[in-house]
Amino acid sequence: MRLLIVEDNVALADELVADLQRTGYAVDWLADGRDALYQGASEPYDLILLDLGLPGKSGLDILREWRATGMNRPVLILTARDHWAERIDGLKAGADDYLTKPFHPEELQLRIQALLRRAHGQVNQPQLDVAGLQLDEAHQVVIKNGTAIELTAAEFSLLRYFMLHSGKIISKSQLNDHLYDGESERDSNVIEVHVNHLRSKLGKTAIETKRGQGYRFLGIDNP
Amino acid sequence: MSRLFNSIQQRLSISLIAVLILVGLVFAQMSLWLFDQGLRRYLENHLHNETELLVAALARGANNIELDQRRISAAYNRPFSGHYFAIDLDGQQWRSRSSWDFALPEPAVAGLMDELADGPQEQQLLIVRADYRRFGKNILIVVAQDYTPMLESFRRVQWMAGGLGLGALILLVLLQRYLVARALQPLEQVREQIAQLQQGQRSTLDAKVPQELQPLVQQINHLLQHTEDTLTRSRNALGNLGHALKTPLAILFSLANRQELNHHLELRESLRNQLEHMQQRISRELGRARLAGEALPGAYFDCAAELPDLVSTLAQIHGCNLSIKWSAPDNLRLPWDREDILELLGNLLDNASKWALHNVQLTITQSDNDFILTIDDDGPGIAAELREQVVARGARIDEHIQGHGLGLGIVRDIVEHCKGDFSLHDSPLGGLQVVIRLPAPKS
Repeated sequence: MRLLIVEDNVALADELVADLQRTGYAVDWLADGRDALYQGASEPYDLILLDLGLPGKSGLDILREWRATGMNRPVLILTARDHWAERIDGLKAGADDYLTKPFHPEELQLRIQALLRRAHGQVNQPQLDVAGLQLDEAHQVVIKNGTAIELTAAEFSLLRYFMLHSGKIISKSQLNDHLYDGESERDSNVIEVHVNHLRSKLGKTAIETKRGQGYRFLGIDNP
Repeated sequence: MSRLFNSIQQRLSISLIAVLILVGLVFAQMSLWLFDQGLRRYLENHLHNETELLVAALARGANNIELDQRRISAAYNRPFSGHYFAIDLDGQQWRSRSSWDFALPEPAVAGLMDELADGPQEQQLLIVRADYRRFGKNILIVVAQDYTPMLESFRRVQWMAGGLGLGALILLVLLQRYLVARALQPLEQVREQIAQLQQGQRSTLDAKVPQELQPLVQQINHLLQHTEDTLTRSRNALGNLGHALKTPLAILFSLANRQELNHHLELRESLRNQLEHMQQRISRELGRARLAGEALPGAYFDCAAELPDLVSTLAQIHGCNLSIKWSAPDNLRLPWDREDILELLGNLLDNASKWALHNVQLTITQSDNDFILTIDDDGPGIAAELREQVVARGARIDEHIQGHGLGLGIVRDIVEHCKGDFSLHDSPLGGLQVVIRLPAPKS
C-alpha cells in the first residue's frame, strides 16, 4: 500500500513517515500544497493523508480540486482544527475521514486500515479477513486456521496488498507502484522472491500466477 | 407599539394639547371680552339717547314741572321690564313705574358705570347717568337696562365655542397622531429590524432610512461588522495558536510511541498521561475562547441548512449502521452563533453516536421563551447516580465516565455561555437523553 503524506511540519512528517514505514506502507512525503495537488492526482496512491494549513495551497482547496476532477482515492484529513464547523467543511469537501491533532499513532493506524478496507469494499470489519486468512496488522502476522504465521515486513505488505485485492489479477508493475515509494529502486525479481516465500508459508495455491499478466490471490478457501 | 414610539408620540400629543388649549382659551376669552366692551359702548349710546328723550319729556305744567307720561316709552311702565329711570330735578323726583319698589343706585359721575349693578329679580343692570340743566335747574337722570339676556347669550356662546374647540382639539390630536406615526414609521422599522437582529433573523440593518436615522443605522451596522470581524480574527488567531500547540503535541505523542521506549513502559505511560492532560486542557480552553456567545446579535443557526450536513458528517464518521434522525419546526432559526451551536450539537450527537446501538434522535422545539434541544440514543445510558456528577459544574467527568467526557465539557461551556442549562434523563429509546434548554435572548 502506498501512501502520500502532505504535511508542512517537518518534524511531524518525519515521525509519520517512520511510523507508517514501520507498519509496512510505502510512504511519499510532500510539504507544499501545489506539489501535492499535482502528485496526489498523478501517482497511484492508495490513500492520502492531508494537512489543511499548507503553504502554497490550502488542503481544502486541493481536496475540492481533486474531487472536482474525479480523483476518488481515499483522503484522510489530518489537522489541528477540531471544531465541528471545520469538520463538516472537510467532509463536505470530499474527505473520507477526519483526524484531529494531536492523535495517538495507534489511532491513525486504525483509521488508515479502516479506510483502506472500506475503499476495497470490506466495510465494518475490525480486521482484514479474506479467503480464510486473517491479517493482524498490529503485529504483522497472518492467522491461518487459528495459528499465527510470522511474516517479514516485505511479505506483510505484499500479503496485505493481495488480500485487499483478493480475486483480482495484479500485474507486477502494479505491485511495484503500490509497494514501493517514489524513491525506491524497483526490481520485479524481488517481488517474485517474496511471492514464493508467501506461497511456502500459506500453501502453493494461495497465489496463482497468470502467465504474462501477473498474480491472483485466491487464499486458502479455494482448492 | 414600542415604548420608545409611544413616548415620542405621547410627548408630542401632550405639548400639542397644552398649547392648543392655552391659545384657544386666551383667544376665545379675548374676543368675548372685546365683544362685551363693544356692546356696552353701544348700549351706553342708546341709554344716553334715552336720557335725552326723558329730558325732552319734562314740561312746565300748571304750577310745576311735570313728566309727560305719553312721551316716555311703554317699557318704563311695565314692572321689572328691564328698563328703568330715575330723575332728580332739584329735589323733585320721578321714577319709572317699572322699577316698582327698587331704588336705582346713583353713580357718582356722569356716563356709564364701570360695573354692572344688581337689579330687581336678579337682573344685572347697565347704568348711565346724565346731567342736564333746564328750566334754570339741574336735572340728574339715571337710566338702567337689564344686561342679563346678553350675559346669558355670552354664556351660550362660550359653551358652544368650548364644544367646537374640544371637537377641533380631538380632530387635531387624531390628525397629529396619524402624522407623527407616519413620520416615525422609519424609526419603527429600525426598531423592528433590531428585534429581528436579536432573534437572528437578519444580520444587518437596512441602510435605506431617512437622513436623520442614517448615522445611527450606519453606526450600528459598522459595529456589527466590527464585532464579526473581531470574532473572525480572534477565531483565526486561536486556530493558529491551536495549530502551533497541537502539531508539536502530535509529534510528542508519536515520539512517546517510539520503539526505544518499549523497555521503559512506565516512562511511556507517564509521558502519555501528561500529553493527554495537555491536549484536553488546550482543546477545552481554546474551544471556550472561540465561543461567540451573545457578542454578535445578528448571528443565527439555520436548522434546515446546517443539520443535514452535520448529520451526514456524523453518519460518515460512525458508519452506516447508525441511523441519526433530527426534527425541528420548519424554518427554525436558533438565535446563536452558527459555530457555537454546531459545536454543541456536534459534541452531543458524537457522544450519542459513540454509545448508540442503532438510533440517535435530535429534537429541537421552541416554546415561548426557550429553545429545547433533546438528544436521545439507544445505548447503555448513564446510571442515575452518576448523572449528577456529569451535570455538576467543574466535575472531572472525563475521569469518571470515559467517552462521555471531553465532549460534555465543551457542551457545558456553551450552555453556560448561552445562559441555559442541561440535564440527563432516561431516554424513551432506552439509552441516555440529554435535554438542553436555551433561553431566547431578551430583546
